[in-house]
Amino acid sequence: MAPSTPAGDDSHQQLLDRLDISTLPRPFRNPHWKPSQRRNKNVKQLLAETSRKEASVIATQNNSGATTPFAVGTTTTDGTQTPMGGASSRPPNIAQAAQNLSTLVLEKNTRAMFPTGPAATYTNIESAPSLHPAHQKHYCDITGLSAPYTDPKTRLRYHDKEVFGVIRTLGQGVAESYLEARGAHVVLK
Amino acid sequence: MTITSTQTILSVRTANANASDNSSAKSSPQVYNVQEPPFKGYHPPQPEGYQQSKASPSSNAIVIDNGAHIVKAGWSFDKKPRFLIPPVMSRFRDRKLNKTCQFVGYDSYIDATTRGQLRYAFDPGTSVIGNWDVMEGVLDYLFLKLGVDGTNGGVDRPIVMTEPIANLAYPRKMMSEILFECYSVPSVAYGIDCLFSYRYNRGKDGLIISSSHTSTHVVPVLNSKPLLSNSSRLNWGGAQASEYMLKSMKLKYPTFPARITENQMEDLIHKHCYVSTDYDKELSHYLDWTGLEDRNRIIQYPFTEHIVVEKTEEELARIAERKKESGRRLQEQAAKMRLEKLMKKEQELEYYKDLQRGLASESKKEAKRILEAEDLKDEAHLERTIRDLERSIKRSRNKDLGIEENEEGPEEVSFPLLDVPDEELDEAGLREKRHQKLMKSNIEARQRAKAEKEREKARREEEERLDNERRETEFENWIGERRTARQALLQKIKERERLKADLGNRKSLASQMRMKTLANLASDGPKKRRRGGDDDTFGANDEDWGVYRTVATGEQSDEEEEEDVNNSLKAIEAQLLKYDPEFTENHTLEAQSDWTKSLVHAFLRGPWPFDAESQREAHQLHLNVERIRVPEVVFQPCIAGIDQAGIVEIAADILNQRFSGAEDRARLLRDVFLTGGHTLFKGFDERIRTELRSVLPVDAELSVRRAADPMLDAWKGAAQWASAANLSVSSISRQDFLEKGAEYIKEHDLGNVTSF
Repeated sequence: MAPSTPAGDDSHQQLLDRLDISTLPRPFRNPHWKPSQRRNKNVKQLLAETSRKEASVIATQNNSGATTPFAVGTTTTDGTQTPMGGASSRPPNIAQAAQNLSTLVLEKNTRAMFPTGPAATYTNIESAPSLHPAHQKHYCDITGLSAPYTDPKTRLRYHDKEVFGVIRTLGQGVAESYLEARGAHVVLK
Repeated sequence: MTITSTQTILSVRTANANASDNSSAKSSPQVYNVQEPPFKGYHPPQPEGYQQSKASPSSNAIVIDNGAHIVKAGWSFDKKPRFLIPPVMSRFRDRKLNKTCQFVGYDSYIDATTRGQLRYAFDPGTSVIGNWDVMEGVLDYLFLKLGVDGTNGGVDRPIVMTEPIANLAYPRKMMSEILFECYSVPSVAYGIDCLFSYRYNRGKDGLIISSSHTSTHVVPVLNSKPLLSNSSRLNWGGAQASEYMLKSMKLKYPTFPARITENQMEDLIHKHCYVSTDYDKELSHYLDWTGLEDRNRIIQYPFTEHIVVEKTEEELARIAERKKESGRRLQEQAAKMRLEKLMKKEQELEYYKDLQRGLASESKKEAKRILEAEDLKDEAHLERTIRDLERSIKRSRNKDLGIEENEEGPEEVSFPLLDVPDEELDEAGLREKRHQKLMKSNIEARQRAKAEKEREKARREEEERLDNERRETEFENWIGERRTARQALLQKIKERERLKADLGNRKSLASQMRMKTLANLASDGPKKRRRGGDDDTFGANDEDWGVYRTVATGEQSDEEEEEDVNNSLKAIEAQLLKYDPEFTENHTLEAQSDWTKSLVHAFLRGPWPFDAESQREAHQLHLNVERIRVPEVVFQPCIAGIDQAGIVEIAADILNQRFSGAEDRARLLRDVFLTGGHTLFKGFDERIRTELRSVLPVDAELSVRRAADPMLDAWKGAAQWASAANLSVSSISRQDFLEKGAEYIKEHDLGNVTSF
């Protein structure tokens, strides 16, 4: 590894100054751009939000009663026509209209999906667990070799009696971290 | 807690490997150094691309392949990306200089301070951007380096950017917001990296297997149209692989003295790992002695050896000289002292002799007075003194002259006074008698001891003779006895090992017994004293002290005993070796616990001996099974605890379940296309080929190919696509953004489709 802080001569500081982009002018940035303070979200939050949204959309669809084909024949939602046109026979009701709009969007989407099944989402393209019995092979947790045995005490899989001897000398918690590497550890919630 | 191989059974191990078939000593290993932080030096901006793009500002686009491992950026007319940087930023306030510093990409690896403040743009282990400040920093850096001058107050070139398959709405929304509102770009087009790569490699119908930094995707493409709803994602890629490698290494070397980082592991994976074409077969022989030196890779971390200061020849000579000098001086002094003593003794002798001569002429009373004045008891005492002096003078003279003095045998002394009854003796006689008695018992004891020794020797000889006789007459029994004795000793050793191990465990019987003893010892004293009776008899019996032996744990407790057992074991094994035809060198405990036989040793230290003292060896990682184990996860995710099917099973599932039409399937199989950095492993394509073949119908035509450059083809494809005339059709314009919102996208053949 390079010396953590190279000798205190000027050359390093000069290099740092040259690499540092904080002082460079950035005329291409909008000076009025003020990002939201809470824009950073991790995947877990995003997925939770998405699934909430999906659930609420489905709920709207169920409640709306607009799944009946009344609008489908007369209205196209390809953007050439305003979707509201199909509902002109009804008395104007802003709340219902708003609700209808969202259902119509939903319907458009479902129709778009029909030829190929449901659209791909981040969650539903995730592949399923393996169903093939031949893929459930056991490997030694310590050495990675094939493991015909399992230690009943630590639940570690092991290759031979020498490895077993090693398992029995493992310190507290080490066995658990071996299990964790295989995703078989106990999670207390 | 360290894993150690079982070499501890015998403390003294000679490294004679000729006891086994592993006799061929392994050649000295090749050592690989660990990677330094990936700082790549200063990259000057390249504004000429921007100047060139001025020719047609609306069609020359900035192309950014927004990868989680490396972000590639350049112009649509470039042949290859101009800038490759990891999406990391390090921004902090330098307290000494009192200013904010900002380093992006490889620059942020320059020193420890910047590395300490490193932040990743992507959410760890996913292809989703989690830190938008870093993303903005990365874009700033790229636009600066690409020479964007911001004449119109923004980046006035179209942007083409890649995104993962089925990107979430939020990241896309944020990206559009930043691009349009912060950088005021005229338009942006999003596309999927592996589809760009496939297009660049002229694919039309095929199955894309794209394994990149954060995930692995399988995407079927028919008529140049991706069937995204039939695609599948495995959450495993280069990032997870290096994380897994790090985990394994930390478990393998829990007390490793240096810091192991994920960057280093990534480098190791790139350099040393490969996909095994037949995993189980190769694995079962991976730690075999033969060829282990080729399979085992040594990674050397920087270390400082404890230096034993090597003295120069001159210094050593000087030191020796000084030592000799002082020795000589001491010798001289001693000689002088001896001489003085000798002279004194001679004078004394002279004096006493005079005295003796004088005494002869004196009266008895006078003689007694003189003797008393000289602190002598009687004449005999005087005589004895004179004799002693004479002897010691003679001895020291001899010593000075270097004459070897032969110890004169114990002179036959007679003890005449012992037979005389006490009554007949006067006071002096009585004293003399007591003295003689003492002398006699002394001599007798010495003789007794000698006789005892001889008897013992005779007994041993007799025993050995009997033993030999027995061996000759009833060999079977004799050898059987020896064998059982050896077994018993082995059992004893094992028992002790177990006990030692058990003491480490708080709940074991052994340590509970020990705690009980301790508690008893502690509570014993005060309780009895309270009762009043001082009847503590501890120590009266010698065995009482044995309690300390049982209480003591650790090294010092019974080393002696252990030595004893080991020695007798060795003796028995030597006998067996000599007489038992079935007992060979390989059967000895020493040979069996030899490190060359140990699987765990091979796993930890390869086919070379390990010296725990050596700093160099302590700073080494040995990669062996990991070399195929880590890349294997993509085929068997359950190894790393991922509850998903392996890549081949996914592909087979897509091919066999979702494309029932034989024609479509055949079209897909004719072009199985591998792209992404994680497919760069040696043997990846071959493995895919053999495994796919095994799940396909016999007559299916199968062709597997790799992208020309699995890392960069996505960017190149995107640039090529962007240079095509219809970029604006697939781009979201500023107008679209303002009217249709940040989540709006335009669908095209290489991009994602709208979902909810």
